[in-house]
Amino acid sequence: MPAFDTLTEAWMVWDGPAPAPRGVVLEQTRELDRFLAEIERRAFRMAQVALRDPDDALDVVQDAMLKLARNYGKRPSAEWRPLFYRILENGIRDLQRRRSVRKRFMTWLPGPKEDPDNEAQDPLDSVADGAAPVPEQLMQAQALEKLESSLRELPARQREAFMLRNFEGLDVAETATAMGCSEGSVKTHYSRAVHTLREQLGEVW
Amino acid sequence: MNEEILQTGQQALEERSRALFHESVNNLDMRTRSRLNQARQAAVAAAAGARRRPWLLRMPVLTSAGGFAAAAVLGVALWFGGPLSHHAAAPAESPFEDLELVAATDEGAGDAIDMLQDDVDFYDWADKAASTEPTA
Repeated sequence: MPAFDTLTEAWMVWDGPAPAPRGVVLEQTRELDRFLAEIERRAFRMAQVALRDPDDALDVVQDAMLKLARNYGKRPSAEWRPLFYRILENGIRDLQRRRSVRKRFMTWLPGPKEDPDNEAQDPLDSVADGAAPVPEQLMQAQALEKLESSLRELPARQREAFMLRNFEGLDVAETATAMGCSEGSVKTHYSRAVHTLREQLGEVW
Repeated sequence: MNEEILQTGQQALEERSRALFHESVNNLDMRTRSRLNQARQAAVAAAAGARRRPWLLRMPVLTSAGGFAAAAVLGVALWFGGPLSHHAAAPAESPFEDLELVAATDEGAGDAIDMLQDDVDFYDWADKAASTEPTA
């Protein structure tokens, strides 16, 4: 164990290295901004697929951005992507857990029950749009809806593996970091997800 | 042959689902884009703010030590400036003036005990480091 002449010296060793110069800090901040701008929309859509509710998805993404910036902003930018998705997936899982607890609790309470399918539905959504959709757009929308509902039916780990690998383009190692599991598990989850999705989407695709 | 068909089917599923997903990302409404933009700016500002803090405040050990020192000064001021030993003190030397001075010099003084608790590990470590120092 090292010995120190003064307590200040001990503090310096205990508390880590001195901060980076100002120019480096500015460049890191810009890089973080670029990174978040590049992934924010995909991250939001992935959270929305998992949670269904856009406001919840926005909250989870915002939380993940803040946590990444505060806790890992100084880490090399190459590490940000898997770290960000790890934080995001943890946030999604926490929210889903809270929802299921709330749902269980609500069943014990008297009064009208919450209908998850009607939750956060805007009455304007049901008003017909003036312009009739082009058949191709309609087919795309139906295919997307079917894809999302099939993804929601997958076990959480399979859904995570499929979205991170296929939508976000992470490799197996990065996906393993993001999911907090081994590379072998990622391959298994992904393969099962593809198998199930092919069974479910076979008619449409 | 079977393997080939499976591979082709899997590839088709991956490509089609990816295309649909990315199209839905590109079609996000302006309100969502704006809120994501705000969230990003808040995160970047938080990161920049954390980095811009003075180096002294970024060292929790030092702020804790400062809090501990302030608490010690406060304790001494209260002890010697308390009603029981205050017979000789002139009104201009009220202990509350000292108290204000101490509170003004370190805003973390109120949390001194908490911070001290947080850094027990450091003092333990420093004590061990000192005790293992070879005698000259």
